[in-house]
Amino acid sequence: MLLYAFLAASMLYLLVFIGLPIVYNLVMSVQEVELGNISDLVRPFVGLENYREAWEDPSFRTVLLNSALFVGANVVAQVGIGLALALFFAQRFPGAHVLRGLLLASWVLPALVVGALWKWIFATDYGVANYVLTRLHLISGAIHWLSDPTVSLTAVTIANIWFGTPFAMILVAAGLTSIPEEQYEAASLDGAGPLARLLHITLPSLWPTLVAVACLVTIYTMRAFDLIFAMTQGGPLDSSNVLPLLSYQLSFQRFHFGVGAAVGSFSFIIVLAVAVLYVRTLRRESEG
Amino acid sequence: MLRRTFLASSAAAAGFSANVARAEPATVSLWHVFNLDTDMIYGGMKAFNESQSAYRIEPRLVPGVQIVTELIRAIATGSVPDLVTLDSPVVASFSAQGTLTDLTDQVVQSKFIKPDVYFKGPWASGQWRGKTYGIPRDANTLGLYYNADMFRAKGMDPDKPPRTWSELKAAAQKLRDPAKNVYGFGFCATQAEEGVFQWLPFLWQAGGSVDKLDQPEAAAALQYVTDMVQQGLASKDVINQSQYEVTNTFMAGNIAMSQGGPWELPRMSKQAKFEWRLAPLPVKDDKQIKADCLGGYDFVVPKGAGQVEGAFRFIEFMSNPKILNEGWKSGRIGPRTDVMVQDPLWPQAYATYRGEMSYARPRGPHPQWPDISRPMQTAIQQALTGAKSPADALREAAAKVDPILAKTPL
Amino acid sequence: MMRSLRRRIGSRGMRILCSAIGITIVVCYLFPVYWMFASSVKTSAEIFANPPSIIPSHPTLAAFRQVFESENVVRYMRNSLAIAIPVTVVTLLLGASGSYALSRLRTRLIGVALVLALILQIFPDALLATPMFIMFRHVGLLNTFTGVVLATSAKSLAFALVILRPMYRQVPAEIEEASRVDGCGTWQTFWRIVLPIMRVPLIVVGVLSFVQAYGQFVYPLTLLSKQELQPATVGIYSFIGAEYADWDRVMAFASIFAIPVLILFLLLQRKIVAGLTAGALK
Repeated sequence: MLLYAFLAASMLYLLVFIGLPIVYNLVMSVQEVELGNISDLVRPFVGLENYREAWEDPSFRTVLLNSALFVGANVVAQVGIGLALALFFAQRFPGAHVLRGLLLASWVLPALVVGALWKWIFATDYGVANYVLTRLHLISGAIHWLSDPTVSLTAVTIANIWFGTPFAMILVAAGLTSIPEEQYEAASLDGAGPLARLLHITLPSLWPTLVAVACLVTIYTMRAFDLIFAMTQGGPLDSSNVLPLLSYQLSFQRFHFGVGAAVGSFSFIIVLAVAVLYVRTLRRESEG
Repeated sequence: MLRRTFLASSAAAAGFSANVARAEPATVSLWHVFNLDTDMIYGGMKAFNESQSAYRIEPRLVPGVQIVTELIRAIATGSVPDLVTLDSPVVASFSAQGTLTDLTDQVVQSKFIKPDVYFKGPWASGQWRGKTYGIPRDANTLGLYYNADMFRAKGMDPDKPPRTWSELKAAAQKLRDPAKNVYGFGFCATQAEEGVFQWLPFLWQAGGSVDKLDQPEAAAALQYVTDMVQQGLASKDVINQSQYEVTNTFMAGNIAMSQGGPWELPRMSKQAKFEWRLAPLPVKDDKQIKADCLGGYDFVVPKGAGQVEGAFRFIEFMSNPKILNEGWKSGRIGPRTDVMVQDPLWPQAYATYRGEMSYARPRGPHPQWPDISRPMQTAIQQALTGAKSPADALREAAAKVDPILAKTPL
Repeated sequence: MMRSLRRRIGSRGMRILCSAIGITIVVCYLFPVYWMFASSVKTSAEIFANPPSIIPSHPTLAAFRQVFESENVVRYMRNSLAIAIPVTVVTLLLGASGSYALSRLRTRLIGVALVLALILQIFPDALLATPMFIMFRHVGLLNTFTGVVLATSAKSLAFALVILRPMYRQVPAEIEEASRVDGCGTWQTFWRIVLPIMRVPLIVVGVLSFVQAYGQFVYPLTLLSKQELQPATVGIYSFIGAEYADWDRVMAFASIFAIPVLILFLLLQRKIVAGLTAGALK
C-alpha cells in the first residue's frame, strides 16, 4: 500500500543516515579507543568500563544535573513563551504577521554568532545586560553572569531560550491555523468569552502540537552545545557544562574517545525514555 | 631551489622554474590555521610553488579551534592530509600514538633543519623518544603589555615597568580606577589550555613545577593571581575571557597592564589608541627566576600521508631563516636562534619577546598533556572563584597529575 | 475548513495597542540581533569597550568592505543556497509523505517509527560527522553537495515527521472519506485534497528546514574540504583565527548572511496570511 511505501522511504532514509553513525558511536562506547587505534574498526572490547569511568568522573554528576535543569527550563520556557507569542501574534492587528516573521531572525544566526553576542551581552564589565540593569536600578552591583559558577547555567539557559523560542512559536502558530473557525463561532454564540475559548477550544485542539513541540525542544536542547561552547566552554568549573559538550571534550580535547562516546550514549538513553513517553501519549490520543 | 621574495608578482610565476622536470606537480595537501593574510605561510606557499615544479601546495584553512578535531577525524577515517600545523603541546599526544610520520631521517639529511640551531623548547615539542615527529614553524611567548599613557597619568614612569611580582601588584593597585572602569591587570584563566598557558609562567617563576603541584611554591603562584582577582585588581571575568578578549579589553582602555603574546601585535598597532609598550614578564622577588611559557605551531606529517617528501620539502622551505624573518610581520617569532629580524616592526616588542625566548619553557612534551592540563585548569578556576583555597585546589590537581607523570615522566 | 485563528478585536484602539505591544516585544527580543548589526559597524576595540556603546560612536563600513575584499562572499552564499534548497526539497518530499503515513496508519509500527525518528536526533553533529565521513568516503560522496544534502536532510526529516503528524491528524476525516466516496485512490486523496489543506504547516516546515540547513556548519566543514564548495557558515570561521577573531568582520559577515533569510521570511509571511484568508476548500 502506498502509505507503507511512504513510511518505509522516510524510515529507511533515517536509519541509513543517522542510524548507522549512531551504531558507530555506540560500538565505540564499549571499546577502548585512543588516537592510535581510532582508524581501526576492531578495537579492544572493554564492556561497560567506559561507562563506569564516565560515571566516576567528578564532573559527570554535575553535568548530568546541569543537563536536566537546562533542558527542563528550556522546554517549559520555549513552549510557554512560544505559545504566548503565537497566540498574541495570531490576533488581527496591523503588522502582526510581519512582526512574527521578524522574530525568527534569532533562529537564522549560526550558534557561534549567537554565542558570541550573548557572551558580550553578559560580560561582567562591558556587557549591556549589567549596564542596563544597573542603570534601571534593578540590581545594585554587576552580576558575574558567566564567571560565577552559580549563575553561568542561568545565563546560558537564557541565551538558549532566546535562540530557540521562535522555532517553537512558529510551530505552534502553524498548529493554530488548523483549528476550524466554526468551533470559535459556535462557542461565542454560546456566550463563551475569550478565556473560555482559549481553555476549552484552543488548548485542547492544540495539545497534540504542543506535546510534539515539547518533545522536539527536549531533544534539540539535549544535544545543543555549540551555543554553550561559544559562551563559556562549559565553565567555570563545569557549572554550565552539559552532556554533549562533555562528550565532545572527552573525545576531541582529551582524546578519550570511548569514554566520550559513552557519555553521548547516556543522552541517548534519556531521550529514548522521553520518546517512549511521547509515543505513549499518542496511544492515548488515538484511543480517544 | 630558487628563493623568491614575496613581492614577486604573479606574472613572474609563469614558468620560471629552475627545475626542468616536465611532469605534473604532485599535490601536497596542507591544513593550516592562519587566517591573517599577511601570515608568512601565504607568501611561502606562493614562493614554493613558483620555485619548483615537482610539488604544489594545496592549502585548506581550518578554523583554529577545529584543527585538532579535523585531524582526528582524518586519522579515524584514513584520509589524512600531507601536512598539518599543530599547536605544539598536543604534538606529543599524536606522535606517541604512532599517528605521525617519523621525520628523523629527513632531518638528518636536511640542509636547513639542524636541531642545535633551534631553541630547545620548540625543538623538544616535536620530539618523542628520540625521534622527530614535528618541526617547529614559529614560536611565541608571553609579555606584559602596558598602557604608557595611563602610567603617566598616574605619575608613574613608563620607562620603568614593573620588574617583580610586588612591583606588578603595586602598579596594578595604582593603575586601577573603578570610576573609569579600568582594571590594573589582566590575564586569561579560562577552563582551556589558554588558562594554563598564562599561569605556568607564574608557577615557574615561583620555583614550582608541574610535577610538584602540591608544594608551597605552586600554591604561592596560584595565590598571587587569586589575590589579583579577589582584590579587584583584575576582573573576575578572566575566568571566562580568552587571551585575545583580555587583550581587546586592554586595547579598549579598560585594563592597564595585560599579559599577552606577539600574535596580538598586528591588531594592537591598529586598534590601540594610546601608547602601548611591552615589558618582559616580572620575576618573583625572592626567587628572581626568569621563566615564560612557550607556544607556537609545529609542522607535522600524519602517518599514511601520500607526499611525505613533498611535505618535508615545504617544511624545509618554510624553515629558511629568510622566510621566518617575514613571520614577524604577523607576530610570529622564528623558532631558531639564527633568526634575528633586522629592522623589525614594533622593535621594542620584538626585542622583548626575542629576549624572552631564551628562557621560555615548553609544555611537555607529554602524550597526555591534555589530561595534565585539565586538573590545573580546574585548580586555577577553583582558586579564583573562591571554591577552594589555592593550596587545596592544587593538592587536588596534584593527585590527578602525579599518577600520569609516574607512568610517563615529563 | 482551515482558517486562521481570527479573533475579533473590537475597537481600533485595541488594535493599535496590540501593534504597539507587538512592536515593543519584537524590539526587545531582537536586541541581540541589533547588537550584531551594531558590532559590525564598530571597531574591534569598541565592541569590547566599557561602558558599552549602545549606539556605535563612529559607525564605519570598513568591516563590510574587508569582508567583501577578502572573501568570495557571493560564492559562499551560493554554496549555502546550493545546500539549503535541496535539503528543503528532500525534507518536504519525504517528510510530507512519511508523516502522512504516520498519521493514517494504525499499526504498532507507528510507535516504533516515531521513537526511532526522535532518538535518532539525539546525537550532536560533531559526533556523527566522523562515521558520516567514513560512510560517504566509501560511496564517493565526499566533497559533493549531494553528500552534505543527504546528511543534513536527515536532521530536518526527523523533525518534519514528528511535527507534521499531529497536524495531519487535525484534517477532518470527513474530507478524506468524501474523496474516497468520489472514487479517489490514496495517492489522489493525498495529492489533491490533503496536501493543499496542509499548505501552511508544509510551508512552515519547509522554511524551518531551509533555515536549519542554511545554518549547518559541522557537516559542510567535515565533508567538504575544498574551499570552493564551502558555505557561508564555514566562511565565517575564516575570520576566527587560531588565537583571535576579527569580530567586527564576523558580525559583518553574519549580517550579510542573515539578511537574505530575513527577506525570505518577510515575503513568505505574506503568502501564509494570503493562504489563510483566501478561504477554504469547498
